[in-house]
Parts: sequence; structure tokens; C-alpha cells
Amino acid sequence: MGTPLKKKLPKKPLEVTIAGIKFRNPVMTASGTFGYGAEFAPFTDIEKLGAIVVKGLSLYPRQGNPGPRIVETPCGMLNAIGLQNVGVDDFIEKKLPLLKGVRTHVIANIFGETIEDYMEVARKLDGVKGVSALEINISCPNVKKGGIVFGTDPQEAFRVVSAIRKSTSMPLITKLSPNVADIRVMVKAAEDAGTDAISLINTLTGMVIDVEKRRPVLATATGGLSGPAIRPVAVRMVWQAAQVAKVPIIGMGGIMNANDALEFLIAGASAVQVGTASFIDPDAAVKVAVGLEEYSKKHSVSMKDLTGSLKLA
Amino acid sequence: MQSIESKILYNDMLAEGYFRLGLEWKTPRVKAGHFVMLRVSDGMDPLLRRPFGVYKVIGAKGSASKGTGIELLYRVVGRGTSILSAKRPGEVLGILGPLGNGFPSPRKGLKVVMVTGGMGIVPLYMLASQTGGILLFGARTKKERFLLDGFKGPGLKVKTATEDGSMGTKGLVTALLEKELAAGVVVYACGPLGMLKAVSRMCSDAGVRCFVSLERSMACGIGVCLGCAVRSVNHDGKENRNYKMVCSDGPVFDGEDIDWELL
Repeated sequence: MGTPLKKKLPKKPLEVTIAGIKFRNPVMTASGTFGYGAEFAPFTDIEKLGAIVVKGLSLYPRQGNPGPRIVETPCGMLNAIGLQNVGVDDFIEKKLPLLKGVRTHVIANIFGETIEDYMEVARKLDGVKGVSALEINISCPNVKKGGIVFGTDPQEAFRVVSAIRKSTSMPLITKLSPNVADIRVMVKAAEDAGTDAISLINTLTGMVIDVEKRRPVLATATGGLSGPAIRPVAVRMVWQAAQVAKVPIIGMGGIMNANDALEFLIAGASAVQVGTASFIDPDAAVKVAVGLEEYSKKHSVSMKDLTGSLKLA
Repeated sequence: MQSIESKILYNDMLAEGYFRLGLEWKTPRVKAGHFVMLRVSDGMDPLLRRPFGVYKVIGAKGSASKGTGIELLYRVVGRGTSILSAKRPGEVLGILGPLGNGFPSPRKGLKVVMVTGGMGIVPLYMLASQTGGILLFGARTKKERFLLDGFKGPGLKVKTATEDGSMGTKGLVTALLEKELAAGVVVYACGPLGMLKAVSRMCSDAGVRCFVSLERSMACGIGVCLGCAVRSVNHDGKENRNYKMVCSDGPVFDGEDIDWELL
């Protein structure tokens, strides 16, 4: 047999295509961890990223939850921000122009309390210059209405994604919740509704209790767990999703470095999102991209060929 | 704002559980009241950076804000500060900063009164050195007296209150403030939440402008995680639920802008 012949690397081994969009590399920032993008300009070169996914946008501005909203946990953090955001109109008028001329894709994450809300936000963003795709959040655990209902019931997920599909011509990414018994059912529901890609996982619902006060630390009692603590769960769910998905998968959950990102790609993701790591190191996502390039060179493998390359005995 | 790897110049114990940390930083454009986020460990646990108020700029000439590094004072209160206390000179820490708005300069002609409780004295060192005025120092016992070491400023007067009466007036620092509140005064305060709430109310009742520096759990320090929200008052009365971020809108706020009941 001898040494297997090394496959010739394509010209742009890091480039990936998802939902018809070419990304220079498979590294994106996760919604809710990168603001509206411009906040990170002093610390990192956002043009070295595949895409920026902005904070979730609703039809009207949202104030979010009372504090405390965050608490550190072993190898992670719990948050209950409550989807505080400036609203879709202010995003288009005030935040998006700050990214004008920045050569990277901007993906708008959207959510609503009702299907009509989701549709209206999608309509407002339809054809907006500077926005490449929409990521539909059907999975936030921190709002009472909407969100998680659509994310845990496959019929509701189908309804909301179908409705958005009819409201916009933009590429759609559906972001799934891990707080379900079988992720594959949710993948199929989103696909049947016409999503172009799926992203997962959003945070896992968690809770921390102050034993002296016998009270939950977070004002909302529960919150969403993120950070490296959730990574093995996320890798497992991406792997399961990849077994049934026909559309590309964007994997996330506790990615801190290139090695972590590689796990997701090998498990079946075509791209990854870096979230909590950006709080600790604002340059973390770019460092992941640099690390992937090194791996690509070292192993003479393109990102495309890496996707789903998991070997099972 | 910068994200840099900084060398530890010194990390000396000042008293049991209290440390003085010097960090090399070529061009810190630090203003009184600024803070930094420190990464105390390269590992995954603890995961997040911790906020620390800047005590002073080191290697600076006079009261200039440019120097060769910064000094922080901290008390060991949990895992993060415990890990930090074991660090040795020469080791490297990630710093993000300088962050926050800092204290606004007092308007000309106003008499500055600073109110501190415990470690709340830290961010007031730079302000005191620039403005002078009266420093009301609140502590539990005289054992915390060392926190006053090196405090100086043009015509600075220090008055102390301790809870156990072992130094200065016995009782809370707010009792000292009562005597200072008058027209032509501006108050700057940092300390425990209960103290800040009381100071803010007293100033409001006396018609005195008051700036408070708040502390809150935060993940990023740059206004994107939205974790360090405090409820604020909208003076137009239109919206009674409005949040400000301690890291990017603060940490210094006008006491009148904070909804102290629902904080």
C-alpha cells in the first residue's frame, strides 16, 4: 500500500459554500456574543472571519431581563439576557452602516414571540444590502413566549420556518435547541420547511442556586449554559444531526480553539460558530480560523473534505 | 482599548488577604475610574475574565495618565482572586482595557467629597490625586487603615469611620457624609451596594450631584454580553424599565439615573 497519495489541495482550502454563499473560511461568530460586529473592531480583524452573526433581532426593541443575568459555572457560564436588542429597524438604520465596507458576510439572527413577528422581521431584512443570510432563532431558552416553543415542537418549528420561507428570498439558517429528546426530528422539520442550513446547538438550560440565600443566582431562575462545558454534548448532537441532514450544518457549543472547531467539522459540520470564547478573548474566532488554516496545510485537507470525515470502527 | 499580554512586575501582600499587583503596560491611557478585565488563568476553569478597578498608573510623571504600567489592589474573595494571589513576578496575564467611562472631572469651583467603603477606595486613588478634596473612608476596623497609605492630593483631607470604632468615628461612613453635604459639593462614591444606595439617597435629598461607581458580574467588559445590566430611571418617565450596562455605560453613573429599588 505504502503512503497514501496526498490529495491536491484546492486553491482556497478554507473556503466553504453554505446556502449558496461562499465564506472565506468556516468560522463565524455566534449570535449574542459579538454584539452588532463593530464593537470588536478595536480588538480583532473581523475581515478574517467567514461571517459575523449579530445579536438576535426582534420586531421592536427589547429591554431584556432584570439582573443578575449571568453567572460563571465550571468551564462555562449561564446567561439569561432575555434577548435584549435594538430592534430590527434600528439595526438596519444605525448598526448595519457601521459595518459598511467591511469585507465579511453579515448574518442577521432573528426571533419573535409569534409567527407573525418572525415573518415581519424577515420581511424587513429581505434584500437589505449588507445582510447575506438570516439565522432563525427558534431556540432561546430565556424568553417566556415564543422562542423555545418553536424550538422544541417539530410541528411548530415547521410552521415558523415555512412562514419565514414565504416572507423572504434570503438564505435561511435555522438555529436549533439542544433541549429536545431527538435532534434529528427537529432537523427534518426545519428541512421540510425549506431551511437552507441548520445551526446548532443553542445553550442548554441550566440553573445555579445560592445555598446561603436558598435562591437562584439568576433573576429568572434558569438560564442558558454555554462554554467548553457543553462541547461534548454539542459535538454529539452535530454528529447525530449530520446523519439525517441534507442541508449543511453549522456547529457550535464551547469552541475555544481550532482543535475544538475541528471536532465539529469532522463530526459533520460545514462551518462553526465561536461564541463564549469571544468574551474571554475578543480575537478568539480569528485565532480559530488561523488554526484551521495550519491544520489544513499540515494534513493537506480542505475544510470541505474534512466535513463528516469521522472514521468509525 | 487594548487586549494585551502583560508581565507581572510585582504581586505583593499588603495585609492578610490583600494584594498589590503591578502590571507592565507601555501606554495605558487610564483615567480615574477606569477598570480592566484580567484573565487570571489560561485554563477553562475559571473561564471568564474578572473586572478590577485601576488603582494607579505606575511610572507616570505627576498626575499624568501615561506611564509604564498599572497597579491594582485586590482582596482575595473567591477562586479567581485566590489564583491571582499565587502569581509571581515575570508571569504573564491577559489584560483587556482600559474600560468604562471613568469619573467625570468635577466642575470648577465645586468641592469634591469622596465616600468609600472597604475596597471601594481603589478607583478613587487617581481621582483624589487629581482633585484633592475630602475623602471619607469607611472600613470595618483599623486593620484596613493601610488602604489609605500613599493617598495624596491637593489639600486632601481624610476622615475615617470604622464599624467597630477602632479608628475614627464609630459607625458607618454615611454619618460622616451627613456633615459634608452642602451647596457647592459634588460627591464621588464607591463601595458596597447598600452604602452606595444610602449615599445616593442622601445626596438626592440634599440636592447634591453624586457619582457612584458600580460593580456587577460581567463576562466581556465591552458591552456585548449584556450580562452586567442595572435598571436605570428614565427621567422623561416614558419607560420605567430601562437597562444600562455597568461595563460600557458605566461603571460610573449619576446616582439619580439608577433605579436603586429594582437594582
